[in-house]
Amino acid sequence: MRMRNVFLVMALVTSAFFAGCAKKQDASERVLNVVSAAEIKGFDPIMADDLYSGREIAKIYEGLLAYHWLKMPYELIPNLAESMPEVSKDGITYTFKIKKGIVFQDDAAFPGGKGREIEAADFVYSIKRLADSKNQATGWWILDGKLKGLNEWRAKNEKLPAANYDEEVVGLKAIDKHTLQFQLAKPFPQFLYALAMGFTSVVSKEVVAKYGKEFINHPVGTGPYVLPKFDQGKRITYTKNPTFREKFYPSDASPEFQHLLADAGKKLPLIDKIVVHVMVESQPAWLKFGKGEVDYFGVPKDNFATAVKDNKLSDDLVNKGITLTISPQLDVTYTSFNYDNKLFHNTNLRRAMYLAYDEKKANELFYNNTAFPAQSITPPGIAGNVTTYKNQWKGPNLELAKKTLALAGYPEGKGLPEIIYDIPDSTTSRQMGEYFQKQMKQIGIKIKISASPWPEFQAKLKKRSGQMFGIAWGADYPDAENFLQLFYGPNSAPGANSTNYNNPQYNKDFEAAVKMQDSPARTALYEKLNQYLAEEAVSLFGVHRQAYTLQHGWLRNYRAGDLHHDSLQYLNIDSAKKEELLKKF
Amino acid sequence: MTTATSETLTLNKSETKKAPKSLWRHAFHTIVSDKLACVSLVIVAVYFLVAILTFLGVLAADWNVEVGSAYAAPSMDNIFGTDFLGRSVFLKTIKGTETAVAIGLATAAIALIIGTTLGAVAGYFGGIVDEVIVWFYTTFSAIPFIMLLVSIAFIMGKGTSTVFISLGITSWVGLCRVVRGEVMKHKDREYTHAATAIGAGHTRKIFKHILPNISHVLIINFSLTFESAIKAEVILSYLGLGVQGRPSWGTMIDDSKLELARGVWWQLGAATFAMFVIVLAFNILGDALRDALDPKLKGK
Repeated sequence: MRMRNVFLVMALVTSAFFAGCAKKQDASERVLNVVSAAEIKGFDPIMADDLYSGREIAKIYEGLLAYHWLKMPYELIPNLAESMPEVSKDGITYTFKIKKGIVFQDDAAFPGGKGREIEAADFVYSIKRLADSKNQATGWWILDGKLKGLNEWRAKNEKLPAANYDEEVVGLKAIDKHTLQFQLAKPFPQFLYALAMGFTSVVSKEVVAKYGKEFINHPVGTGPYVLPKFDQGKRITYTKNPTFREKFYPSDASPEFQHLLADAGKKLPLIDKIVVHVMVESQPAWLKFGKGEVDYFGVPKDNFATAVKDNKLSDDLVNKGITLTISPQLDVTYTSFNYDNKLFHNTNLRRAMYLAYDEKKANELFYNNTAFPAQSITPPGIAGNVTTYKNQWKGPNLELAKKTLALAGYPEGKGLPEIIYDIPDSTTSRQMGEYFQKQMKQIGIKIKISASPWPEFQAKLKKRSGQMFGIAWGADYPDAENFLQLFYGPNSAPGANSTNYNNPQYNKDFEAAVKMQDSPARTALYEKLNQYLAEEAVSLFGVHRQAYTLQHGWLRNYRAGDLHHDSLQYLNIDSAKKEELLKKF
Repeated sequence: MTTATSETLTLNKSETKKAPKSLWRHAFHTIVSDKLACVSLVIVAVYFLVAILTFLGVLAADWNVEVGSAYAAPSMDNIFGTDFLGRSVFLKTIKGTETAVAIGLATAAIALIIGTTLGAVAGYFGGIVDEVIVWFYTTFSAIPFIMLLVSIAFIMGKGTSTVFISLGITSWVGLCRVVRGEVMKHKDREYTHAATAIGAGHTRKIFKHILPNISHVLIINFSLTFESAIKAEVILSYLGLGVQGRPSWGTMIDDSKLELARGVWWQLGAATFAMFVIVLAFNILGDALRDALDPKLKGK
């Protein structure tokens, strides 16, 4: 046999082998397949301060409140609470009634392995756990200084070998088995939002006691799903919680979501099993979506040109029954400084960097021109954002950048040390880093890129060890306070203020604003703070992104939402349609 | 008796006439007569020259400059096209040579020092010293290479020096084994005994007498470690653990995993080609060196 023929035969055999190996999608299996674009830091609610971990814990844990699935603007509704709380006239006391008969998921930590009923005391315990300094909770900032006596309890127990959870805190009381009362240290209108966040989810002290440090890998909550196996890595499988309470798909919706009411009144969750594929790189995930093995996915930047044109999907995708949802996100990307480093206290240096950075080009390169340039931190759609405002320090303006750098004391970058720029370690992040490096080089600023995996990158921010970093912030609740607190001094790392910016005047204004009820005066103060951050170039604000999400035709009830981490319980799969559509793949 | 002496003298005369070439001269002649090896040597020399010139800033100093639009296909202006920032892929490939050669040299040097020292000590002293070193490298080599590499890179943080060190300290086991075996063989040779007889100490015997006699093994291993280091760097960079802030063939291939979706193949092509040529050249050269330097093959 000639050599060429040998190769031909080999090629045929190989392709036949791989064709045989290709796993066919089983349409009858009602499994929801989704992708997580970053590694999960664990399943402890008090540590879930990033979007990816937040989404995972929301499958298992629940809090007192949640967001209505089909209402915009976002509306808080009772979740584990029986109803919305009674609030005292002075806005200080919040009294909740807790739903009866809700049980923790079954686990060996409970007598007989049967999950017991939750009580008001469990919430008291869970919130004290968030406050306990020994736990180093990354979510503590949400209640720091908010509840009467809680900070004192934290400080007192810091010195003890183990915190005394039995000691009463005035602002956090279980009045009876099903009544919970909070007393705020001062009015804080955003308090209810905090109760819809993962950090304040209810956990059981038996489970925490049994698993100790391993609790982070051993979640037991009250939510719609359970984690049947605890040592999962790149593929996390959840199954329906058999003891989940009677919770139903909503029957009312805002006008734009009327078409998502087909499952109204059905018992949740609608799908029995969820598989989360942890895929840091977008390309394999995109290919998986293309094969119908993932139910919805955001269009990666490098596939954008082939998939979407003029905000319409390509024919090839339309023929496969795929649809596109475009939705502005309540987020902001920003490149920031670690203010522990005195170098960055130089306003002109920061302004020069901002002026040298070409955001328009970055938008083209990394977001296919779909994002909105950010003039400051608060995204459009939230009070505090001024649509007409233009930040005079936002580049590109190389001439002015060079002049400003000279004013900063570093003409052409002379005398300025090399600056280390921390980024997460995906290919796109590295490209963004290279772009930033190149932009800064134009005015003579030397940047060294340092990439780390997501959990390590976050740890660096918490330890305040970096110099500069590129990151994004997604809203936890629809209020500018959630963005402005990113620069509030007392929130410094390990709190949410990773920049460790601490300006007394800003802190004072911020404190005044958060005490105020929603009013024109508060909006004016938010606007002032917002513009202050922009004018001082406290961070280099990048863009507010838009989500371009593709869904397969068989996926039902999908909507884009920034705050619905618990969204998967509402999604449904049309098996017949899936079978039919998969034939086209 | 006298006859015997004259006979010996005669024999010596004839030996003097046909004086054998030294090992090194023989090796030189073998390589020169092997055309493929010569070409490989020239290729390797060119890569080294390019690396030195880029290091000095003579070549590819402006690799970071925009030369065209983003993702421009190969053309007369940019023979390998441009990358996502409109930079010349050709210049990046050239600049990547510097990274590759630097990593190859540093890694091979680190591996050579560790491997030779431990191997020589184990082979020479034997006994408990040998057992400890053998136990150490056996355990070490039982850890999967990539896992070890990744964990070292994680512990030490990112950067070019990390790549040097992590590759260096994971590549010495093979060399250590070979050196140990060779030293064991040589320590009982007559010349070593002769050295002992004239009062040479252990250090002198190892470094002055034995090592020069096994230097061919070191050279062959150096060239093989060199090319595997280049390949390993590419793997590390692909995993996001490689060099940062400067072009390397690994980061170019890493970029390509996104770019292929747009039909941009030139970065992958250029980096793969550059790597393919030097790895192949080093392989051929390594083979030729082995043929030329192995005394057992001498004269065949």
